[in-house]
Amino acid sequence: MNTSSRKWLLLVAPLAALLTSVALAAAPPGLLVLPEFAGLAKQASETVNISLDPALLGLAAGFLDSSQPDDAATKELIAGLKGIYVRSYTFDEDFAYPSAQVERVRAQLNAPGWQRLVEVNNVKERTHVDIYMCADHGVAQGLAIISSEPREFTIVNIVGAIDLARLHRLEGKFGIPKLAVPDNAGGGSDKGK
Amino acid sequence: MSDDDLERQLRVALKPAHPGADFAPRVLARLAAEERVPRVRLPRSQAVAGWLTFGLAASVLVAVLLAHQWQVRRTEQGIEARRELLEALRVTDQKLDLAYRVVNAPPHAAAPQHSGA
Repeated sequence: MNTSSRKWLLLVAPLAALLTSVALAAAPPGLLVLPEFAGLAKQASETVNISLDPALLGLAAGFLDSSQPDDAATKELIAGLKGIYVRSYTFDEDFAYPSAQVERVRAQLNAPGWQRLVEVNNVKERTHVDIYMCADHGVAQGLAIISSEPREFTIVNIVGAIDLARLHRLEGKFGIPKLAVPDNAGGGSDKGK
Repeated sequence: MSDDDLERQLRVALKPAHPGADFAPRVLARLAAEERVPRVRLPRSQAVAGWLTFGLAASVLVAVLLAHQWQVRRTEQGIEARRELLEALRVTDQKLDLAYRVVNAPPHAAAPQHSGA
């Protein structure tokens, strides 16, 4: 490496480090870095890859009709959100997804602020669902759901003040049947009780 | 007036007359003089104004078309964002539903674990 290249590197490296740290600091709490899962997308028979940043959420909210009760409720639900990220893959074979990539996401949930609210493991159906909540000073800043089923793998990351009770109240409005659980079950940690 | 009188008068009036020896030089001199007089043209400012009007109209048309295209694209993006939002909420709801279902399943089938956090 010649002298000019070395000087250039000395100038650029700290700048890159500074920009990276600023970018990381600017990332809102509750935001996970989701891998691309490019390999999974190729194997999957069905893929859902949704990344809604604040700008797109705002745009989507603009296309919700407040005069319609469902749209109004959805608008209210997403009012405090800063992002919704979903990666969901459905496979034709059992457990076609590598656990290493899942573990990479799980590792991020060990960071301070994240708490596992519920871990559900159904041995018979070979289903595992983890629900994590990120809280900052007692205020919910994010939600993460990692669901592993034999033929389906899903990660949901909702950034911002998510109200599970409100989300629960929206049940039955996106094609999901209503659940016979009391309204106060939307608080999170008491769901399994 | 009789027809004969009229005919006679016409003959007199239409009688060929020699233009004179200096006719050709006079015509040429007249033509030369007229050529020196500048032709009547549109003033330059008027031509510029015409082009400006055309340019302005074209710009307004292009701007309107671009704005329309932007609006169409924005609407498409909005509809797509709305669809993605509802799909994301549907998937989220489905997974919460799955958790509820497993939790509410008979004890031997499900093994819910709470972090207690």
